[in-house]
Amino acid sequence: MQRSGGTLLTAALAILPGLALACALPPSIVMTLPISHYLAGAALTVALTALMAGGAAWLRLPAPMALARWPAGSGADWLSYLSFLIFLALLLTGYAGPRDPMHNLLTLVFWAGIWVALPLLSLLTGDLWGALNPWRGPVRMLRLLTGWQGRIGLSRLGAWPAVAGLAGFSWFQIVSLAPEDPLILAQAAGAYWLVIFVAACLEGEDWLREGEFLHLTFAMIARLAPLHLSTEGGQRVLSLGWPGAHILTAPPLSRATQVFVLLLLAALSFDGLQATFFWLGLIGENPLEFTGRSAVQGVNTLGLIGSFALTAALIYGALALGRCLSGEVLPAGPVMLSFLAIAAGYHGAHYLMMLLTAGQYLLLALNDPLLQGDAFLGLEPFWVSMGFLTDRSVMTAIWNLQFALIVGVHALAVMLALQITPGRRSGLAHLPLSVLMVGYTIFGLWLLSSPTGV
Amino acid sequence: MSQSVIHRRSLLAGLAAGGAALALPARFASAQSAAPIKLGFQLHRTGIGAAYGRWYERTAQAALKRLNDAGGINGRPVEILFEDDGTDPKRGSEVVEKLATQAKCDLIFGPLFSHVVIGSAPRAGELKIPYLVCSEGFHVASGALNRWAMQPGISDVRAQCTSVAPFVTQNLGKKVTLIFPDYAFGHDHRDYFSAAVKAQGGEVVGMVAIPPSETSFTRYFPRIPRETEVIYHVMIGPAVLTFVKELGQFYGKRARPEIFGFIDSLEAVDLNSPGLEFLEGTHFWEGHCRNLQADATEHEKAYRAAVGVDDNGASVSDARDVSTYGHMFSVWETLSVIRQGMEAAGYQGVADRQKFVEAVEAMTGWEESADHPQGRKVFNGRTHQVFAEQAISRVEGGKLIRVHKTAIEDSFYPDAVDYTTQSF
Repeated sequence: MQRSGGTLLTAALAILPGLALACALPPSIVMTLPISHYLAGAALTVALTALMAGGAAWLRLPAPMALARWPAGSGADWLSYLSFLIFLALLLTGYAGPRDPMHNLLTLVFWAGIWVALPLLSLLTGDLWGALNPWRGPVRMLRLLTGWQGRIGLSRLGAWPAVAGLAGFSWFQIVSLAPEDPLILAQAAGAYWLVIFVAACLEGEDWLREGEFLHLTFAMIARLAPLHLSTEGGQRVLSLGWPGAHILTAPPLSRATQVFVLLLLAALSFDGLQATFFWLGLIGENPLEFTGRSAVQGVNTLGLIGSFALTAALIYGALALGRCLSGEVLPAGPVMLSFLAIAAGYHGAHYLMMLLTAGQYLLLALNDPLLQGDAFLGLEPFWVSMGFLTDRSVMTAIWNLQFALIVGVHALAVMLALQITPGRRSGLAHLPLSVLMVGYTIFGLWLLSSPTGV
Repeated sequence: MSQSVIHRRSLLAGLAAGGAALALPARFASAQSAAPIKLGFQLHRTGIGAAYGRWYERTAQAALKRLNDAGGINGRPVEILFEDDGTDPKRGSEVVEKLATQAKCDLIFGPLFSHVVIGSAPRAGELKIPYLVCSEGFHVASGALNRWAMQPGISDVRAQCTSVAPFVTQNLGKKVTLIFPDYAFGHDHRDYFSAAVKAQGGEVVGMVAIPPSETSFTRYFPRIPRETEVIYHVMIGPAVLTFVKELGQFYGKRARPEIFGFIDSLEAVDLNSPGLEFLEGTHFWEGHCRNLQADATEHEKAYRAAVGVDDNGASVSDARDVSTYGHMFSVWETLSVIRQGMEAAGYQGVADRQKFVEAVEAMTGWEESADHPQGRKVFNGRTHQVFAEQAISRVEGGKLIRVHKTAIEDSFYPDAVDYTTQSF
């Protein structure tokens, strides 16, 4: 039996993560823009930045300056308790609330709020998850109540548990069948919370910062923000600097955190790639008639793994090649920090569309969670609207914003790579890495402008 | 606008999130059982069908509000449980199972995408639950599904292609070139429309099959024969704007052939979008006229207002947010058929599911009415497929103005199945 009418879709507008929303436009306006000119301009900009930054000392980011200091204390644990209570309410909503993911607050708060809006906000304000996570408060309380203040040695694993967490999460988001299904999400989130809770109770709440993947993701992404909160000698320090300046003050990345950054980059890239006509063609899917996630779980699992392997090979390969060319060693620990800027910027650009689409459902559901005509946010009831997706001026503006973000963070990354490297290294040592970043700029923009069919 | 928004507030209020029990107004109390009738809606909320899913849900909510305001079904209130299938056949099958066995819905309706329908309908057959699709696929009438699957809300693609051929050959030209995506959907159009054109004494002079992954079309246009009088196109997907733009560039200031398309190409897209100027003066098939026509009935106007759609087919809250108007009426009309079927069957509960199917099979059609705002329908109980009038519209000043309404009989074709002879 032939398929017919129902496949007549013009408007492949996916709304949730992994369903490739970033560039899944209905008949795509972005495709009618002079994309090749944009790509060439972007490549040239990043290449020129690399050349100039290599030679010009003035192209350096100034160090951030401290705005305020205060004694470190247990501080804002109440936020974490509040978060925990909200988390419980959301879990309940996932189990017993509306089955429609676009009316279920668990789905919306997690995917549109925590995974998209909060990181975007953290790009401006600095890390918000450290205060808002639902573990810290309850863990402290249980440790106080039980009197157990010891450790079991989890900290010796460094960031590897977070790497495992991010790997599992990426698969859940990009490959699993129904990550937005309220019940499935509630089960996954509940199980994950419990595992981390037990681990943190045994090891201490400070372990969360390195061992839990959302903590680490936010900490890394927020390094791009102008504001940064750190702890120095028993004092909390709030500092202000140019975007990226706080990356300069970060300690070199351990092997595990390097892998974490690679995974972050690879997952973002593959999330974009798996929706493109290019990838669908590669795996034998008709991009105009995507069969559905169930048909591509195996191949997309391999794709995600391959994407990680390729990202690692390219970055470590570029460092090795630089060593071969110049005879000088670029240490991966500090140099890999420059990729934080790219990861943060790409997260913002990639999920911007999701914020604008699923974000509307989130507002609607927050305003009127029980669908009873409430207006908790003071908003008049409104229809969710996707009209902007077919508005040329709006879509061009969004594309230009994404373009600026991608080019900006890549230019920043090449500057940071030069500035972070301890001692002076010849331009030759940096050349492969700079070329790689030019390539990654083009790839990122190509992803955002490619036709998608998922 | 504020009225419609308030209207949404009240209708959502009646919906009770998550299937929580509805408060029962007094008008429902006289029924033998005051428990709500539970209808499962298989919704393409995420995945490739999400844009359609959004409007299908909106239409379903509006139709449900109207139904309950009028006293529900057999004196009982009605609720709809929406379950996302991710536009995925495997999930679709699971959704059917969930709605049937866990939520204990009386029936299931709403899916659109053919591959999802084809993947889900067998489970509905196994579970013996009525499965009413809003898909316009030929899969129901072809006999590929089962006794429990029906399509009483929208005509199928074979009927649509067949019915427009007389107008095309008599008014636009007899020498036709088809431009279609090279896979099953495009092939349906190629086969059914070619046959219909030949039957009308026309001739297909060119067939330009375009690979589905193609995003630039200029190199295909030289394959349009010079003698072509009409181009029939059914391109879909994100590259449609590019297709139109490049076709316009190809003809430039030269005289172009007449052009006939299916609105599916530009469903949910404003025809005033920059780049679509080339479509001015071309013709489209529409399942339901997007722009309010001069002769629109009161029922049509009431339907539009209930769903919250303005005279241009866009959301009343955002003039850029064009609906999937050509298809979504099927949800409204399917719910009307559900009510009529349940009333005719004296439906009391899941034990009466078979009676419901038999009651619908016995129906022969419906007049244009508040229940059927798209127009008169003929229902073929043997093939479980409805037949409808189709609109052929011309783009004039960025609006689709209907220039012809096909007769229902224009869309008939020989029955391919008689489901009534199959066992339940």
